[in-house]
Amino acid sequence: MTTRVIAAAAVSARGRRWRSVARDGAAHDLDGGPPPRARKMMTRGALLAALGLRDLAAALDRPLHDAGFFLGVGASAGPMEDVVPMLAASIGDDGFSLARFGRAGLAACNPLLAFQLMNNFTLCHAAIQEGVGGPSGAFFSRGGGTATALVEARAAIAAGDCAVAIAGGADSALHPVTWAELVRDGFAAGGLVAGEGCALVALAADGAPGLAVVESCALHHAGDGDTARLADVARGVVAAWATARDEAAAVVIAPWGDPPRRALRAAIEAAVGRAVVIDVSTTAGDALAASPALAWVAAVDRICAGLASRVLVLGAGVDGDLGVAAFALEAS
Amino acid sequence: MTARAAITGVGVVSPFGLGRDAFFDGLAAGATAVGPIRSFDADSFPTAVAGEVPLPVIDPDALIAELGARGATRAAAVVEPLARGGALRDRKIAFGLLAAAEAWRHAGLGDGAGDRAAHLVLGLGLEQAFLDDFAPIFAGGAIRWDAEPGAPLPPTRFRTPVDACARACHRLLGLTGPTVVNASACAAGALAVAHAAALIARGTADVVVCGASDSMVNPLGIGGMSRLGAPSPRRAPDACRPFDRRRDGLAIGEGAAVFVVEAEGRARARGARALATVLGAGSTQDAYRATAPRPDGAAAAAAIARALARAGLAPADLGYVNAHGTGTPLNDPAECRALHRALGDHAARVPVSSIKGAIGHLMAAAGAIELAACVMALTRDLLPGTAHHRERDPDCDVDVLGPAPVARAVAHTLSNSFGFGGQNAAVILGRAS
Repeated sequence: MTTRVIAAAAVSARGRRWRSVARDGAAHDLDGGPPPRARKMMTRGALLAALGLRDLAAALDRPLHDAGFFLGVGASAGPMEDVVPMLAASIGDDGFSLARFGRAGLAACNPLLAFQLMNNFTLCHAAIQEGVGGPSGAFFSRGGGTATALVEARAAIAAGDCAVAIAGGADSALHPVTWAELVRDGFAAGGLVAGEGCALVALAADGAPGLAVVESCALHHAGDGDTARLADVARGVVAAWATARDEAAAVVIAPWGDPPRRALRAAIEAAVGRAVVIDVSTTAGDALAASPALAWVAAVDRICAGLASRVLVLGAGVDGDLGVAAFALEAS
Repeated sequence: MTARAAITGVGVVSPFGLGRDAFFDGLAAGATAVGPIRSFDADSFPTAVAGEVPLPVIDPDALIAELGARGATRAAAVVEPLARGGALRDRKIAFGLLAAAEAWRHAGLGDGAGDRAAHLVLGLGLEQAFLDDFAPIFAGGAIRWDAEPGAPLPPTRFRTPVDACARACHRLLGLTGPTVVNASACAAGALAVAHAAALIARGTADVVVCGASDSMVNPLGIGGMSRLGAPSPRRAPDACRPFDRRRDGLAIGEGAAVFVVEAEGRARARGARALATVLGAGSTQDAYRATAPRPDGAAAAAAIARALARAGLAPADLGYVNAHGTGTPLNDPAECRALHRALGDHAARVPVSSIKGAIGHLMAAAGAIELAACVMALTRDLLPGTAHHRERDPDCDVDVLGPAPVARAVAHTLSNSFGFGGQNAAVILGRAS
């Protein structure tokens, strides 16, 4: 069974569009999304996912009530305007007090804070807004894990669970707690540029007109932060992909910070020598769980623009796994 | 041709205690483990009872000893860094480790390369937030992030990463396969087991360690859920009364259930005892509201129907339904409507129970531990009851068991899990062949 990408959408620092996500720039435009009441419950990641899915739904122009939806999601990101009043009511000169938190802190926060914190709401808000009711899965990702969304979307189609399956990722590195972690763990000093975004691809099987074909996708264990192991695994993947390589092939990488970036670049060079390599974390900032999905749409964009006939996407972060996806121009 | 997925190992940490036997024995006795919260002072909270694992404090040395008793040889190397970093404050990490070690040993797996190539698919709840960590950097009504580098805080501060438990389990078992973390709220555990079975069926993996771990028995977890109005307001062991006319909310629980799932042929070849078979699964999305389930149960019914189709079964083949059965006013009647939509006339005949009255709602781990209850039903020929269920709500017109368990041999079980946000999962197990 051939699985095709039949539509794509992206929201990133490059703008609210999927074409050129890793090429020329555009203004950041978040207008035209969910209604204000719904927005109030959404984290930044959820809002980005809702915007991305709205654009994808418009592009598909078909009912999505049976469509599958699989999303790589990042950390909880409760709005600080809700968290700070809760802390202010709970922290005194003697520090944090459980009694104060129970009596006053809880009352000071948004009653729906728990829903804001649940990671899967990044997916659910968007599904609710657009009426996407097929099989679903929210996969936590710190780099490689977003590939699981693509793997499962493809599998859902192959299994006959849905005719159309949406796969992607949505996340923001701009939340203060997330950014504090990135600083503390040395990513900021290592050149990570905080980004955010959402990217989605809609997949369908035989018969649907497509933008590109999904040749393969998989998740490989690549060591717990061992960049030498990551480079070894990535080199094997690139070498296997490159056996039928043509001159118009390219590799798009979505590394989480500098160590995996260097490992992936070294692996590509070792496997195929000089190759066209596009790094979405430098073109759109590091959007964490969204970065691999932004790389997918950059790959599809490159194929649609006639710049490549085959594109390999490698995503790797701090979660120890390597996400792999290969896209190609459909043979006429 | 696809491979069938057999469950060959089960590990459980539940409010009944550590280990699957404690869990099975608690259900078999018709006991309840919901009671006053002991792991922190919840007196001022709107909710003060929970299904709490009887480990008020996670002591690293005791955890290492418990893991060692389950045959884990890397326990100290995994636990000590977590303890030094402050991550063990997140209770679900310890629960996941204990359940994973028990399941691994139960399945008879070891340190061979073939075993360690197992994939890991875990359902996990949201990050545990450590609100007291903010105190040293909170001044003038604002968080002073510039003060953080010098603050007296452990390396793991403010929150633990969602995947910390999965990474720890991966290291504990010495796995070399990839890791998937399902973050689909209350559907995560069921989806993780379904995912594992799919990996087996596709031939992607021969062995998968799967299941879920979660704890929201912490100040923000209990407080945040209370703020939503989800838990029962009553501070009593019978806080959760699924399908009962008097039900008024859920009881929050915590714990873990982990399984070893492997290709049936592989299990047979190595002489492993199969406990049950994962026959089919289905998932859907309500796409209705963020704060309520779809009242007509249509999407949940579609998940059940998909699971039946995948299993190649008719509704009448189901001998038992382990319901999501949260005991909230909205969930239970919607679930019953879903059962009627999906099962037709059989919905009125098939025995249905919810174990949430006994142990609480384990959130991300709920679907996993409820599948463990189904394994008990299939291996002990005993259907768990519905603790604290006395008078069935007329809106819940199914054959609710309970509160006592019922001795009955069944061939197939269905377990439903419905997540906050609208994600639905249904998993069907069969007796081992």
